[in-house]
Amino acid sequence: MLNFKIHSNEIDKIGNFTKEEKDFRLKNLKYFNDTGFPNKKNEDWKFSDLKEIVSKNFNKLDIKSLKSEKPKIDFINDFEHNYIVITNGELTLSNFKYEEKSKVKLKSFINDNYSGKKENNPLVNLNHALSDKGYFLEVKENYKFKKILVIYYLFTEDLNENILNSKNKIVIGKNSEIHLLDYLINVSKKNFFNNVYEDVILGSSARLKNIYLQKDKSSGYFHKYSKNRLSAGANFSSFIFPTGLKFNKLDLEFNLEGENCECNLQSASFLSQQEHQEIKTRINHFYPNCKSYQKVKNVLNEDSKGVYQGKIFVKDEAQKTDAYQLSKAILLGERSEFDSKPELEIYADDVKCSHGSTSGSLDKDSIYYLMTRGLTKIESTKLLVNGFLNEVIDSIKSDSIRNFIKTKLEEQLLNEYKKH
Amino acid sequence: MLEIKNLNASINNKEILKGLNISIKPGELHAIMGPNGSGKSTLANVLSGKEGYKISGELKYQGKSLKEISIDERAQKGIFLAFQYPTEIPGVNTSNFLRTSLNKIRKAQGKKELDALSFLKIIKEKSNELGMDEKMLLRQLNVGFSGGEKKKNEILQMKILDPSLIILDETDSGLDIDALRIVADGVNSSRNKQKSFLVITHYQRLLNFIKPDYVHVLADGKIVKSGTKELAIELEKTGYKGIN
Repeated sequence: MLNFKIHSNEIDKIGNFTKEEKDFRLKNLKYFNDTGFPNKKNEDWKFSDLKEIVSKNFNKLDIKSLKSEKPKIDFINDFEHNYIVITNGELTLSNFKYEEKSKVKLKSFINDNYSGKKENNPLVNLNHALSDKGYFLEVKENYKFKKILVIYYLFTEDLNENILNSKNKIVIGKNSEIHLLDYLINVSKKNFFNNVYEDVILGSSARLKNIYLQKDKSSGYFHKYSKNRLSAGANFSSFIFPTGLKFNKLDLEFNLEGENCECNLQSASFLSQQEHQEIKTRINHFYPNCKSYQKVKNVLNEDSKGVYQGKIFVKDEAQKTDAYQLSKAILLGERSEFDSKPELEIYADDVKCSHGSTSGSLDKDSIYYLMTRGLTKIESTKLLVNGFLNEVIDSIKSDSIRNFIKTKLEEQLLNEYKKH
Repeated sequence: MLEIKNLNASINNKEILKGLNISIKPGELHAIMGPNGSGKSTLANVLSGKEGYKISGELKYQGKSLKEISIDERAQKGIFLAFQYPTEIPGVNTSNFLRTSLNKIRKAQGKKELDALSFLKIIKEKSNELGMDEKMLLRQLNVGFSGGEKKKNEILQMKILDPSLIILDETDSGLDIDALRIVADGVNSSRNKQKSFLVITHYQRLLNFIKPDYVHVLADGKIVKSGTKELAIELEKTGYKGIN
């Protein structure tokens, strides 16, 4: 059993901090050391026993940071884009050639907020204590990005039982709009842990469209906590296509802090082998007339496990809330597992809230139908699985980006089927 | 083309077909009529190779036994089943699916696969013949199609895949008179000396539009009477109870 306790002098190794910041880090380190990695006794982690997962797969977790070399990146050629390169959590390159430079601000970042109450997530405590890298991105007011911004998250070959703690902050000014593609490229062959804390702030009537995609399979164990704040009239859409991490937990909080906000979250995942993925959301409707929409789709092969915990909270004054949540899972492997926990907590009386969850094997009649048209069982399965996941991909409006994502995901699926 | 001798089929220990005999030669169109529960759909399912049935007896297609031949291989060898209730397949584009299916079958038969352009030409022509809106082909397979659209889509597949043995399972059910005429025209224009048809129907109505060479009455898992198209007219008058 890995005993992962961290000595307070590790904080001094990260850098020299003001007393305020150092106290904040020490306090959070203590919170983490008191509990360690969360296990299934913690309600928020009951389907993802991280203590066990880490103990099973890691001999040690190295917290010292790596020096990043100049990254070699396979840039995407399919569409024109601005880019940022983040190497092992550190901002290493950027290019905003399609934009007005004065409208964008980008810098390396560690933290700028040392207050706040104790966070209940031990991984957030750990991040607060040890974060040593990250970026800050700001889009000034009244500016609409002309091209998509691709954020290349590169994980290098020299990672070996490291734990990375990084913090990012994204601010989209009033009436501004940006489309982001988080594109993960992972060349590390060894296990490592990536622990990210992200703050996203949308000014009034700001729009953010975010797509999360991985280039290929890897031995990463990822946790990301992301806090998203939306001002009045803001619009956030997120498309999540994760495939191929050993462990991935996305803990996403959306605070709708003004009227007429809209938050849209869709996910399509194909998991195999012993991959484990959890999407946990909490959408807080604090103001009237806001909309939230969540659709989470999972295909689970072999011994994989998918988890969806989705909570919708509606404050008493948040009348005319329209909140929707749906999770669907197809279990292909006999030992695969899907756990779903929808939660509604509603204090307003004039709201429309609905949730649904289904899981099961592929429809036998559909396979039969396709086979009578000459397709083999495997081909029929493939077509149905693609169809199931495509529904999410098809709601991406840009043709070039949708096709890029479709091609990438089809390549990954093809590799899966080849194994059989 | 098709030779069935003493066919027995049961599912979950329930006997459905009890010694069925039928023989269809190339170019012939046979109609099978029968009351509810007589085993009509089971016969269609068994011919297509659907799993879950316990089968005994002889089932020969083009002189060879169909035992051990899987559903997809039967399709590749030219057996086509038009479903009574075509399945809705979300997320799968109708036109893409049709091309995949056609090329799969062509490849198995040693023919060249069709590129997107040649396929488009064929599908355009065939869907026009059936009075189908081309936009329908961009939609998800059978999803949200009306009953008539689903049946037309089955006939479209039949025309495109160009099979040798065609089984129509209650293709007339749920069709209004105009749709029925279009579907029947689709079948009639596909008839030739090489193709055989087995038309399963509840009502004589369809046979006013599609003229069968032979009519068989199926009751309690057996063919109880065979004849020409006059038998269908007689049935319409007397009902199934009058047949003995």
